[in-house]
Amino acid sequence: MSSARLRFVLRRTAVMIPVIVAMSIFVFLVIRLVPGDPVRTMLGFRANDENVATIRAQLGLDQPLLDQYLAWAGGLLRLDLGRDFISNVPISQLLGERLPVTLELTFLAMGLAVIVGIPLGVLAATRRKSMGRATTAYAVAGISIPDFWLGIMLVLLMAGTFRLLPPSGYVPFLEDPVANLRYMILPVLTLAVAESAYILRTTRASMEETMGSPFISFLRAKGVSERRITYHHALRNAAIPIITVIGIQVGVLLGGAIVIEVLFALPGVGRMLVTAISQRNYPVVQAGILTVAIIFILVNFVTDLIYGMLDPRLEEGDE
Amino acid sequence: MSSAAASLQARRTFGGALRGLTRRVGGREALFGIVIMLVLIAVAVFAPWIAPHDPEAIDAAQVLAPPSLEHPFGSDTLGRDVLSRVIYAFRVSLAVAMGSVALAFLIAVPLGLISGFSGGWVDTIIMRPLDLLLALPALLLAITLIAIVGPGASVALIAIGIIYLPIIARVVRSSVLITKGLPYVDGARSRGVSETAVLRRHILPNSMGPALIQGTVLIAFAIQIEAALSFLGLGAQPPTPSLGVMLNDGRDVLTLAPWVEIFPGVAIAITVLAFTLIGDGLRRRLDPRGVTR
Repeated sequence: MSSARLRFVLRRTAVMIPVIVAMSIFVFLVIRLVPGDPVRTMLGFRANDENVATIRAQLGLDQPLLDQYLAWAGGLLRLDLGRDFISNVPISQLLGERLPVTLELTFLAMGLAVIVGIPLGVLAATRRKSMGRATTAYAVAGISIPDFWLGIMLVLLMAGTFRLLPPSGYVPFLEDPVANLRYMILPVLTLAVAESAYILRTTRASMEETMGSPFISFLRAKGVSERRITYHHALRNAAIPIITVIGIQVGVLLGGAIVIEVLFALPGVGRMLVTAISQRNYPVVQAGILTVAIIFILVNFVTDLIYGMLDPRLEEGDE
Repeated sequence: MSSAAASLQARRTFGGALRGLTRRVGGREALFGIVIMLVLIAVAVFAPWIAPHDPEAIDAAQVLAPPSLEHPFGSDTLGRDVLSRVIYAFRVSLAVAMGSVALAFLIAVPLGLISGFSGGWVDTIIMRPLDLLLALPALLLAITLIAIVGPGASVALIAIGIIYLPIIARVVRSSVLITKGLPYVDGARSRGVSETAVLRRHILPNSMGPALIQGTVLIAFAIQIEAALSFLGLGAQPPTPSLGVMLNDGRDVLTLAPWVEIFPGVAIAITVLAFTLIGDGLRRRLDPRGVTR
């Protein structure tokens, strides 16, 4: 790694830390911003003065705000996120069970979308007319159709009419990999369709731009085969915007996964969050939001790093 | 014949006028999108006259009746007419979507203008906090705000508007950065025009193109976000009909009466399609530099 690259990585890391701190403050404030008394809201009809005082002390809400934050942030650093207000299970244990489900869903969907979207985008940019029209139609449809509705239609078709796949449910991968993947097919497909449409659009735009640049004409004049020009030279040069979009879209998928988990009854972080909101289970709400946010920040960080690796200008030390 | 005269000649015929219009809006697809959008807005505005039935009228004899001449989209678990409900729900969904974008414009356009025009520490103070909003996935941010305030259609409107603040502010800011370096701005200054007048009369109108394109696309997303929130039970609450609420209701009778689920989804898809096509057309027409890409 050149010293310019090393500096780039260090600077990116340094930028990420204040963002995570700011995010933790924001999430910490969530429960404090609830109108009225959050503890009374949480307890609902079970709220009496004694209960309210106990829970308030248990959540540390009777301490000064700064002390509360420091205690909470200190807990975070030890991966201690407090306890589920309803089941009294440590939240870190809940997250340990649920995070793998969300990550599996998100990354399988992104993988599928990349496998479908990039080749179609390249084809759309390099072959004319009919291929361009077909891929445009796919891209527009993929963006217009709401993903969770597409999921419901897939359930109707695959689980209802043809009885090929289970409509909802989950088995951990380590318990039974085949069953796990069977349960994952519909949710992953649902999330991947819209995503592949975005990647297709970006790939096409970026490839069209690259294919029109002088170095491509030069390679053609040199007699390099069109296939080699497309995949070896042009795609590499067109990659930066595509990777940027993939990084941003992982965040969109993490959001989309919330709805898809609810729809397919997958026990992930998203479903935990939605359930916790309806039960006013604020400690779990905070943990869920913070977890997804931190994954998103980390993904953006990794995207930046890949971006840095691909950008040849960094070799010379300027950004 | 010069090209101007030729185009004048061409516009005298209907076909020529259509071609001219198509070029102005940025292509055939965009024209198609505009036509759909106008129809949809008309449906939303004139809902009480268009809907064939009362969307709330319960009819025990028509529970889960399949599509027929009387009920073209069938009827739901309470025997209510699905077509009429889709029309009224669409009204709510469109209002939330357009309202959220309008709200975001109202706040973000001045912020982006000042930020891009002033630069320096003003820019930093305005943009850094907004950037922080981008550190959360959009849907998660909306859900967080709803977790604080509680569910509802107006909360969803505000939440979506807040998600859009940094997006619109950034687009406005980057087009201001381009516009403020153009010769006619210097020209206005050298004539002694005050800074506020330069900002209002020269920079604002010439920086709005990319923001409008973004706004069109954001309405499309807002329709989907609203539907997703209501589907999760976090947006519009029954009895307020919204397309997402309808999709949530329809799930329980999916195999018995798929029409309850199919038509609201189709309505969302067509609306998003229309705004996406218009956005693409505007982009071709107004943003050759690719600020919004």
